[in-house]
Amino acid sequence: MSERLRESLSALMDDEANELELQRVLSSLGEDAELRQTWVRYHAARSAMGGQPVQDLSMDISGRVRDALADPGEGQKTGTFQRMLRPLASFAVAASVAAVVVVGGQQLSQLAEGDTYMAANNQFGGVSAVGFVNSVGATPVRASFGTQGVPVLQPAARTAYRELARQRMQKYMQEHAEHAALNSPQGLVPFARVQEIKE
Amino acid sequence: MTSLAGRSRKLFSTVLLLTLSAQVTAASCPGADSVALQWLDKMSRSSHEVNYHGVVTLERGDNMQVMQVSHSVVDGTASESLTQLTGQGAQVVRVDHPLHCVHPGHRLLRIGEEMQSGDCGIAAHYRFAVGEGEGDRIAGRKAVLIQIEPRDMYRYGYIMELDRETGLLLRARTQGRGQKTLERFQFANLSYTEEAPGAASAEVVHRATHPDMSSSNDASLPSSHWDIRWVPEGFTMTDEPKRQSTRKTYTDGLAVFSVFLEELSREIQPGEGVVRRGGTTSYTRGMRMSDQPVLVTVIGEVPLNTARMVADSVTWVAQ
Repeated sequence: MSERLRESLSALMDDEANELELQRVLSSLGEDAELRQTWVRYHAARSAMGGQPVQDLSMDISGRVRDALADPGEGQKTGTFQRMLRPLASFAVAASVAAVVVVGGQQLSQLAEGDTYMAANNQFGGVSAVGFVNSVGATPVRASFGTQGVPVLQPAARTAYRELARQRMQKYMQEHAEHAALNSPQGLVPFARVQEIKE
Repeated sequence: MTSLAGRSRKLFSTVLLLTLSAQVTAASCPGADSVALQWLDKMSRSSHEVNYHGVVTLERGDNMQVMQVSHSVVDGTASESLTQLTGQGAQVVRVDHPLHCVHPGHRLLRIGEEMQSGDCGIAAHYRFAVGEGEGDRIAGRKAVLIQIEPRDMYRYGYIMELDRETGLLLRARTQGRGQKTLERFQFANLSYTEEAPGAASAEVVHRATHPDMSSSNDASLPSSHWDIRWVPEGFTMTDEPKRQSTRKTYTDGLAVFSVFLEELSREIQPGEGVVRRGGTTSYTRGMRMSDQPVLVTVIGEVPLNTARMVADSVTWVAQ
């Protein structure tokens, strides 16, 4: 496993990975046993810091992920073994989702089966007011404008939404630039923000 | 000798004008720096009316793009082009844009008359200050620095440096919280000639679009089937959206953001995602709006919190 991959994985664990890093980890996760092991170690370290018991690290990850995915009731169990497994399952789902999410938002609905939706079981306070959800690092200032709450998501859905946001930016940036170019003082320069200009 | 006298008389009258309008401004809009606002006005006009050609850079994080820009005016119509010298190497052109066609963003920057009628315009949302001293030299031109600070948390701040002679924007820095520079635009080289130098070749040539202004005032047409109940004060629509349009764009003169609505044919797990590039935020929210799953995306040069609050206020219009 390369140093770069290790860094990407670390960033992913801290929820600070960019798209490139995410792609790098996702594409290597399948073949790289060392990468999977490192992920377990990082996760164990984080659990230990959080005061949770650390598991035996020599387990067969891929097998556990498979089992976890095969058992839909996994998310509801509360043993330490399951607590250890749950993020693994989410991570694996994230990988598969990120791969298929290319078409659009519809695929996100498929997540509902593999990913425990926190708002549903209300385990972590359920629906948050707008502005207080810090999953994307916004300023927690004005609490809420309207009535739509933003649910807190588990990592798999968060990863999928980040990918969705990236695709939407790519899709809409040029149309936005057309109007920005006519209404801001830098002439055509807003077009330079478009990742790939189309004719 | 006569020309020198003429010039100093012109200078005198400019100073007089500035002094007079400063008094008007101070009376009606406390805290508004009228000299800075005059520069803003001049910047907007020069970007349309002046012939200029040069090379500009756009830095966003550790990415820097280099582009060739060209703007020329013939018989009251402007033609402009932007050719990327790095990256994709695409070209964007706009031809036959009449000078009298002033879009809302630029109207907001030309606020001389409105100020006197008591409307502070852009000065109500930003604090402007002209930098002291000589100012930097940018692309070989002497510049005047204008510091622009937002009065609320819904927009970014800017440091703009304009050509002392023409008012053209030579360098602009977009600043987020804690004076962090998010994006920097700058001329590396600039000439004010009528003849455009040959542009670099481009494989992709895009003709910039222009909103159709003809049918926008037809009141008999029902307006859009969705609406945005909240945008920060001072933002106004850039163009009248067509009936079935899934986009609405707003500007306050310095920042622009667009809102896109997609009606989904399947359920979506509610949630949000964000991507940031330089000064641009792209925020996507999946939610249900009266039993209809939708995806709302807000893209623009505004802070994340603004994008989120705008997305939060999207609603259907009862037809």
